[in-house]
Amino acid sequence: MLTYMIRRLLNTIPMLLVISFLIYLGLELTPGDAVSHMVDPEIASQMSEEEFQALREALGLNKSFIQRYGIWLTNVVQGDFGRSLSGGVPIMEIVLDRLPATLELSVFALLFSTILGSALGLISALRRGSVTDNGLTVLGMLGVSIPEFFFGLVSILAFALWLDWLPVGGRLLPEYDNYWDHVPNIILPGIVLSLMMTAGVMRYSRAAMLDSLSREFIRTARAKGLPAWRINILHAFRVALTPVIVLIGFRLPILIGGSVIIEAVFQWPGVGSEFISAVRGSDYPLVMSIALLSVFAVLMASLIVDVLTALIDPRVRLS
Amino acid sequence: MNKIVMLASAAALALTASHVTAQRASKLSDPRVRQAIAYAIDMDTIVETLFEGKAIVADSMIPNGGFKAEGLNAYAYDPDKARQLLQEAGWDGNQTLDVVYYYGDQMTVDLMVVLQAYLADVGIDMTYRRLEGDVGAQLNMLPEEGSDTSAVTWDIAYGAKAALALQEYYNGYRSGRSSYSPGSSKRDELVDAINASADPAVQKKAFEEFERFENEALSDIPLYYQQLFIYENERMSRNGGEYGNDQFNYDWNIVNWTVEPNENGKEVLYTNNAPAQFFEHPWLNPGIYVFSKIGLDRLLTADGSLTPKGGQLASDYSVSDDGLSVSFALKDGLTWHDGDDLTAEDVVWSVETAQKLPGTINAVFKATFDSIESISADGNVVNLTMKRLDPNVLLTFSQFPPLPMHLLDGVNPAEFQQHPFWQNPVGSGPYKIAEVQMNDFVRFVPFENYHGAVANIDEIVAFPSGENDANVIKNAEAGRLDFGFTKSVGDVKALEAMTHMRVVPANIPYTRSLRVNGFEKIAEN
Repeated sequence: MLTYMIRRLLNTIPMLLVISFLIYLGLELTPGDAVSHMVDPEIASQMSEEEFQALREALGLNKSFIQRYGIWLTNVVQGDFGRSLSGGVPIMEIVLDRLPATLELSVFALLFSTILGSALGLISALRRGSVTDNGLTVLGMLGVSIPEFFFGLVSILAFALWLDWLPVGGRLLPEYDNYWDHVPNIILPGIVLSLMMTAGVMRYSRAAMLDSLSREFIRTARAKGLPAWRINILHAFRVALTPVIVLIGFRLPILIGGSVIIEAVFQWPGVGSEFISAVRGSDYPLVMSIALLSVFAVLMASLIVDVLTALIDPRVRLS
Repeated sequence: MNKIVMLASAAALALTASHVTAQRASKLSDPRVRQAIAYAIDMDTIVETLFEGKAIVADSMIPNGGFKAEGLNAYAYDPDKARQLLQEAGWDGNQTLDVVYYYGDQMTVDLMVVLQAYLADVGIDMTYRRLEGDVGAQLNMLPEEGSDTSAVTWDIAYGAKAALALQEYYNGYRSGRSSYSPGSSKRDELVDAINASADPAVQKKAFEEFERFENEALSDIPLYYQQLFIYENERMSRNGGEYGNDQFNYDWNIVNWTVEPNENGKEVLYTNNAPAQFFEHPWLNPGIYVFSKIGLDRLLTADGSLTPKGGQLASDYSVSDDGLSVSFALKDGLTWHDGDDLTAEDVVWSVETAQKLPGTINAVFKATFDSIESISADGNVVNLTMKRLDPNVLLTFSQFPPLPMHLLDGVNPAEFQQHPFWQNPVGSGPYKIAEVQMNDFVRFVPFENYHGAVANIDEIVAFPSGENDANVIKNAEAGRLDFGFTKSVGDVKALEAMTHMRVVPANIPYTRSLRVNGFEKIAEN
């Protein structure tokens, strides 16, 4: 397994190179650059070409595309992600500053959706055809179909503005004395973010559980007179977990990349909202760094899923 | 019903018309065509319906007030007159005008649909598109000297001119400086005249003459004056402080503002416009961001309409009769928030540094600083010798805040905004920064050594939500936004519906217009 993991890790290097180049190229092809976003059109009309060139020179934008990509890549390999073009703040400082907020939200959502979705999927499968099953199926479809921003706005209206139970958004307030004070701020965005994920996990785990329950080894277990809870949980559910883990695994990248929509709706100062600002401002070092981290997270998630699948399902062999 | 039909037909046109960009002679160079366009648009109805009455129909680029000329043609909606003018000008109904804009809001798209319908009604086809990327170049690229061919590819550009000084409305028309309006000697004389004196009476006469000239020429077709709306929670009081143009700085009496104390007995006021990644330096937008407004003082102060009215950091100031010598005497005992002395050297350094900033400086500041021959400090007095009279020198120093030389000296002007100072800046205003949680909030407390009275409110907490983001309404509803300003009509209606908020409109020099490309030909796209 170790050899397999090392080989997979080495494989990520060319993939990261190709993907980073494509993202850089995509940014290059978008109209305008950081300077055109920094300078107001009215002021630009009064600036000389020399002043524009001085600004572009200071920001390193006068070099060719390949030169800029080469410099960026060389620096990244040396661990230097550069500075934001708009504010001059080191990229790693920005990412590390935003990452805790994103991790809080995503870990909450991931745990909540995994536990709740698996449990509901299990119940739904065990009561196949019942009112509970049908009800959960409908809820699951709604959860998958309704966009996150809609859930977000409705929840703000209901729980923050009408009932005044939870904050309207944001993460930290001056009156918070310790870390736990801001837990109420996580609840709404965390639950909304987890709703769609919960619905997905529930539908996957239900289908997998039904498939598992129809297998012959379950019939054998029943014939041996094992208690129902033991058959359902230890035998059927364990096998049913494999596709669910795949689904959850591929959601791991949101731990790094954040959820752009939820962060925007709830004014959550995470990586996702920073990414959007950077794209809008053509702040290419920041865009590249966040994108690269997200791509790395996707590749790592794929590796973790493979390893976990092998650990859970003895039929799977890594090679 | 007619309007509905027009709107529907415009929508259909928008879906089917293609963008025609071949080099052409559109006859927009003929003033009669420009006048026809003005007559074809029913701005009264647009303001009443689309803007829900939250704008003022414009008859000139210059806003209503003391400098507005009397008797201007308002080009009231008259489609028959428009058709007649087009016929007289020999308008070719087979061409399609390329109209561009650079705003991203739905209201602008709606306005484009309506304009398309009105113009179609008189026989003018138009398509519209949003400029992306290097908007400045696409709007402002200048033609070669003496050429009759415009360097920009559009026929009409919808945009705004937001002026700190009224000269900004017309200085851009000077020969060789406009991308869409060919130069003329007559207009150059008018530009010279509005810049020739700092005397308001003389300026007024020059502006009126310019307005009458442009009222015929219509290089820009003025559409409407956008208003600013200041919103406040009922629990706060300005205690007599005036309301004015909140995009800039004026004497708003903030040290005497009060707010009902919270359950802990503390007076805390919530506002917006805090930074998300860095504090924006105040020499480009001197009054938009919260630190620029409450954390920095200017040499002079102004009233709500931004007319300089007295000293702020300066105890005294003078301008010679010819306008070529200006001096400011600083108050005694001024300090920065970090305790260092605020001196005349700080002012000199700030002006000299601002002169070197490429691009990211307010146009009025730049015009003033370009007019300075020399600047020096003599004790606590700052002396300016001007190369030429600048009519807005006092206005500039009522908006331009000096910055601390001891913290910024040696900064590369091209990387001014990237200096670490802008992560937690030090200022001179009535409130100083007590805590920065970047992208979460900034906490301000009264500056105990402020040269005026120490401010009343215990804390001002600012969140990163900005003027136009979607969070204004929910934050105001939740009591997390006690004070701010907006120009969004939709937000104003929602704020007015909240019983705990009051909304005060302020007239500001912010004119939306159609810039008409009056060159004989335009560049090919």
